[in-house]
Amino acid sequence: MALPQAAALLAASLILAVSSLAASADPAAPAGPVTVVSPPKPGPGNDGAEALDVSLSPECRVPGSKLYTLARLGAVKLALKEKRPVRVLTIGSSSAGLGASATYPVKLETALERSLPDVDVVVESRGMQGEIASGAAERLRNMVAEVEPDLVIWQVGTHDALARVDAEAFASALDETVQWIKGHEIDVVLVTPVYTASLASDEYYNTLVRKVQEVALREGVPLVQRYEAMRYLSSQGQKGEGHLLGSQFRLNDLGLRCMAEHVTRAITLSLLQADPAVTGTAKPPAAVIVPPRDAAVKAASPPPPVLIAPGD
Amino acid sequence: MREPNAIDFWRGLALVTIFVNHIPGNTFERYTYSQYGISDAAELFVFLAGWSIGIATRGRDGSPEPRLKTVLRLLSRTIEVYRAQITTMALALGMIAGTALALDNPLLLEWHNAGGFFADPIQTMVGFVLLTHQLGFFNILPLYVVLLGIAPVFVLLARANRVAALALSFGLYGASLVFAWNLPSWPGEGDWFFDPLCWQLLLVLGFVAEDWNRRSPWLRTWSVRLVPLGIAIVVTGIVLAVLEIRPDPLLVPEPRLLFTFDKTYLTPARLIHFLGMLLAFQTLYAVLAPRLGPVTGYLAGLGRNSLAVFSIGSLLSLAAQLVRFWTGGGVFVDVSVVGSGLIALGFTAWFVEWRSRKPRPSSPPA
Repeated sequence: MALPQAAALLAASLILAVSSLAASADPAAPAGPVTVVSPPKPGPGNDGAEALDVSLSPECRVPGSKLYTLARLGAVKLALKEKRPVRVLTIGSSSAGLGASATYPVKLETALERSLPDVDVVVESRGMQGEIASGAAERLRNMVAEVEPDLVIWQVGTHDALARVDAEAFASALDETVQWIKGHEIDVVLVTPVYTASLASDEYYNTLVRKVQEVALREGVPLVQRYEAMRYLSSQGQKGEGHLLGSQFRLNDLGLRCMAEHVTRAITLSLLQADPAVTGTAKPPAAVIVPPRDAAVKAASPPPPVLIAPGD
Repeated sequence: MREPNAIDFWRGLALVTIFVNHIPGNTFERYTYSQYGISDAAELFVFLAGWSIGIATRGRDGSPEPRLKTVLRLLSRTIEVYRAQITTMALALGMIAGTALALDNPLLLEWHNAGGFFADPIQTMVGFVLLTHQLGFFNILPLYVVLLGIAPVFVLLARANRVAALALSFGLYGASLVFAWNLPSWPGEGDWFFDPLCWQLLLVLGFVAEDWNRRSPWLRTWSVRLVPLGIAIVVTGIVLAVLEIRPDPLLVPEPRLLFTFDKTYLTPARLIHFLGMLLAFQTLYAVLAPRLGPVTGYLAGLGRNSLAVFSIGSLLSLAAQLVRFWTGGGVFVDVSVVGSGLIALGFTAWFVEWRSRKPRPSSPPA
């Protein structure tokens, strides 16, 4: 008789304790990134010694140099200065699927709003079919004209890689489109396509990833190195787990959350960067552009489930 | 089985063009007419669908069949196309997932809009059956389902008054352009790749043109007189396409869709270009047919069985994409996949006709 009651009491107090813990942790979460919004130590190249970016969730932590290169975001700054909502258009294969709150655009909006307190961020997302080298660049222009965003976050390269379009044709079409977006006073952040062990030694795929990096550098736009970040995470998490197709092939939550965090981090830091008269910041340290050449070596062992599942 | 005719021939050509263009990056892509104009094979396909509705809903003497029969006929066709879309999408998703597993490559799961299905299967399954989640390259049939679904309204209205049907169609088209009306995608933001509210115009134009062409000598005379205008439009299209000249969508005045080149909304530039193509090439079939030998029969065969050929063609072009990705592409691979694809399309057409000729004891005669 007394026993179930006692158990219930115990359970209730446990729940209370846990929820109060959670509650006390919560306010810290939005505040956390704000205090951390300072550029990470500009790890001078030797990325072995470079500290992880601790503003990210533990499972998404990557050294800053592996994660992004920064550049000015004039249009977003202007929106912030004018205290109006920041309109973000996210484009790419990962952008589809806003039905569920679990998906990338929602995560991105949440992460951005947490990182930029008191700023209203409106994220519109569009999936896009087709290759940049053929019709998709044109479609992108029409989408941009329809949404008229301050910032375009463009995860690019997947479809061109799947169609194996000529890397030069891809690069020049991408370059031209980025120029067009910038020419209309709209900011661009480029995101490289996914890393996956089976493509680590695919020379063509690596070339395409490098082309995205080159265009970002040439046009002075921030770049989120999804490829590098995933490769880094996969090399860290070796726990000798077997290669279970079933668990590896889930496009899971974590991959999407990490990407949203990574993109948010690059944007926040880019916003911070432009402040002083350091225009040279558009050019990141040389070590930042890590060509994914040695990928094959690290790929020898299968990455942990979390990573392969990056899902977009 | 009917003899080769212009409609089936051009529809067959549109099917072959769509098949080749849906293998992006392949060597033959640049030899399709889509690369040399503002509009492409999709316009031709939808226009000819409207034209065929005109033929199908009339007797040989041109007298319209009973209204109820027309409505039921269109309903039955709508169901058929819906079924084809569901089947091809399911097979396509299976092919993508299977290849991703076989090649151990999750990149493939991000294939044109497929990622949503694998990341959010619960929502996307609903969008899948509602046709609001569409894979890239698999978005013509959803358009066609909606067009056939609303076709009875236009067909019956046109019987009473063709001008009224045209006015309704143009009105809907114009309003959709001005207010950017479109059907929504779900899950996932954005809209349909082919906006049915705009593209219905081509179906109605095809349907009305068939009727007018049959009964109006005036229209036939004038369409021949306007061939030079059509040629001028086609040449302009070639120049604009080759030099990649097009309006900047952020610089054109509002409403922007009246001025941009946008496939989703079948913007006026595309419509004008398509009508120019129609004028320019209207008499070409009579010239080509006797000279092309077996090619005429082949294309007309595809056109006669367009739904089956289109469905198989979409799966074949997906298979070709996967093969190109896996092997790395190259001219040899392109020749093989496109060549075998064209043979398979021909076989599909032959097989469908063989099946319908063959008596089927298990099912009652149709």
